[in-house]
Amino acid sequence: MQRVTFTIKDYLDDNPRVKQILKYCVSIALIIGAGLLVKVAIDVYTWNGFIIGVSKSLVNGLALSMLLFLMVSGFFLIFGLCGVINFAHGAFFMLGGFMGFVIYLATESVFLDPTLPFFLIFGSNHLALSITAFIVSALGATAVMALIGGGIEFFTIRRLYGNPIAQILLTVGFMFIITQVAELIWGPPQISYFIINNSQISYFFISGTLDLGGGMIFVWYRIFLIFLGLSVAGLMFVGFRRTRIGLQIQAGIEDSEMVEALGTNIRRLFTIVFMLGSGLAGFSGAVLVPWIGANSGHGLTYLIYAFVIVVIGGAHYGRFEGTFFSALIVGLSMQFASYFAPGIKDVIVFIIMAAILILRPGGLTGHGQ
Amino acid sequence: MKNLLEIQDAHVYIGSFYILQGISLVVPKGEVTLLLGRNGAGKTTTMKTILGIYPPKEGKIIFREEEITNLPTHKIVNKGIGYVPDTRRIFGTLTVEQNLIVSRRKATSHSEMQERLELIFDLFPDIRGFLKQKAGTLSGGQQQMLAVARALVNNNDLLLIDEPTEGLSPLLAKNLIASLSRLKEFATILLVEQNFRAVSKLGDNYYIIDSGKIAHEGNNMSELIEDKVLLAKYLGVSI
Ligand SMILES: Nc1ncnc2c1ncn2[C@@H]1O[C@H](COP(=O)(O)OP(=O)(O)O)[C@@H](O)[C@H]1O
Ligand SMILES: [Mg+2]
Repeated sequence: MQRVTFTIKDYLDDNPRVKQILKYCVSIALIIGAGLLVKVAIDVYTWNGFIIGVSKSLVNGLALSMLLFLMVSGFFLIFGLCGVINFAHGAFFMLGGFMGFVIYLATESVFLDPTLPFFLIFGSNHLALSITAFIVSALGATAVMALIGGGIEFFTIRRLYGNPIAQILLTVGFMFIITQVAELIWGPPQISYFIINNSQISYFFISGTLDLGGGMIFVWYRIFLIFLGLSVAGLMFVGFRRTRIGLQIQAGIEDSEMVEALGTNIRRLFTIVFMLGSGLAGFSGAVLVPWIGANSGHGLTYLIYAFVIVVIGGAHYGRFEGTFFSALIVGLSMQFASYFAPGIKDVIVFIIMAAILILRPGGLTGHGQ
Repeated sequence: MKNLLEIQDAHVYIGSFYILQGISLVVPKGEVTLLLGRNGAGKTTTMKTILGIYPPKEGKIIFREEEITNLPTHKIVNKGIGYVPDTRRIFGTLTVEQNLIVSRRKATSHSEMQERLELIFDLFPDIRGFLKQKAGTLSGGQQQMLAVARALVNNNDLLLIDEPTEGLSPLLAKNLIASLSRLKEFATILLVEQNFRAVSKLGDNYYIIDSGKIAHEGNNMSELIEDKVLLAKYLGVSI
């Protein structure tokens, strides 16, 4: 088999025109295949149902993709600069969710306490109260996870650079510890915690749906998440292009020894990147709570998503483009599958990953072979 | 202070390999000291030892009369050392301008950096033209200019320059060496160069390193160039 593929490959390399024609044929076949799928979907769901399904999947998929992108960026940054595969990253995401949940409710009860001065500010203005509590919870979860991630780097991982096996064992260990602690406190993965069900005033600032008529109903919060995720991603892009520390991180991903030889304290930069990466995991976990809830099972699930996204995107010098498109592919395909083909919604990302790895072993941004 | 840098009997291991086996050398202030030797002799390792990337197991490194032997790399560099590595190692995904920005150390103010940039543009006028270009897309000669420029962003007393003309055409190499000789007014230089004839006018002193030991040293370049036996023995130059 190996030999046959090599012969075919050699033949194609020698005959670029045949290769070109073959490429066109494959593209046309893909388009026809996609067309057939669409045709079947329209037949099954009717035209209206199809359009509704597509637009819902699009909104949900975009929202999930943006947050997956932020979460995976953290994972990717830590891997890119420090060379550490952080198996606890999904657990950071999960814990970020609980932090967001707990901090939101705590802030809410502080704001509602008539003996405290906040009561004078918010009074019965639940909208302002809820928005403020949400901002506090998102920032708080980010900060707590940044401290935990930075602390883990500073006190443990720092001693293990250059020893990948020990790093893996250590971060896998942290994954189990964090997951077990979360289960002890909040119970097994069967239980999900949502803010609105636990709020004293049963209120959350974005709730309800946008009804465009004809069954086109979108959940407001997910629309909001698209914009929130895009803004944070935009901030991150600008930060990496414009700030000195952003440039140092990018340069360090290429050649950390050289960055150090130019006078940067690389150890400190590693800790900062761990904080940044863990903070991103915490942030995305926290702001997803109103949608997916806080759940002690999310650690493993989202660690796997992180792996899939990095593999599809290709680890290409800390460039985010590949990760971004790969997060889009994963987020959208999961949401499309859960609407149109619920039977495969849990495996669709692995099918796509396998297909992409066969076509481009280096991932989207990798170099072919 | 006569000697800006001094290595005293440095023994360096990389992993379990005994690479530098007792290197001693001095780099007098304001002069250009050449480090010569065949491939694999230990020249780059000597540079990295000074930078603290491979700290010596035994021996001392003294910079401006202060021992820096076991300091971390960034602390050593912040004392005023610029490094031009052997394979350029520019940051290809950043623009030329961003490469220069990341090279600015905290101690160098923005206005100071502007002055340094004027010096850089004066030495390498071409750089001004490709500031916004991704460094990875530059030609070999342009990348080498950038690698040197990066070491000039800060006001360094000592420049460690490792094989700057490697892989350049003879004309480009000649131009680069002309630029380096102008640097002499600003900084003390420790220079590794295979093509010692090209730098014979530039060098004030030289050390020949062989299998991790200093095999020969001197300060008369014209004598070295005539010494066919020595050249054949240590630098692989045929008679
Ligand atoms: N990372 C390393 N691991 C093992 N051996 C090394 C390493 N780097 C360099 N060496 C060895 O050290 C010796 C000196 O290398 P180097 O200092 O790069 O030589 P030069 O710069 O003079 O060509 C060589 O024999 C080389 O093989
Ligand atoms: Mg070398």
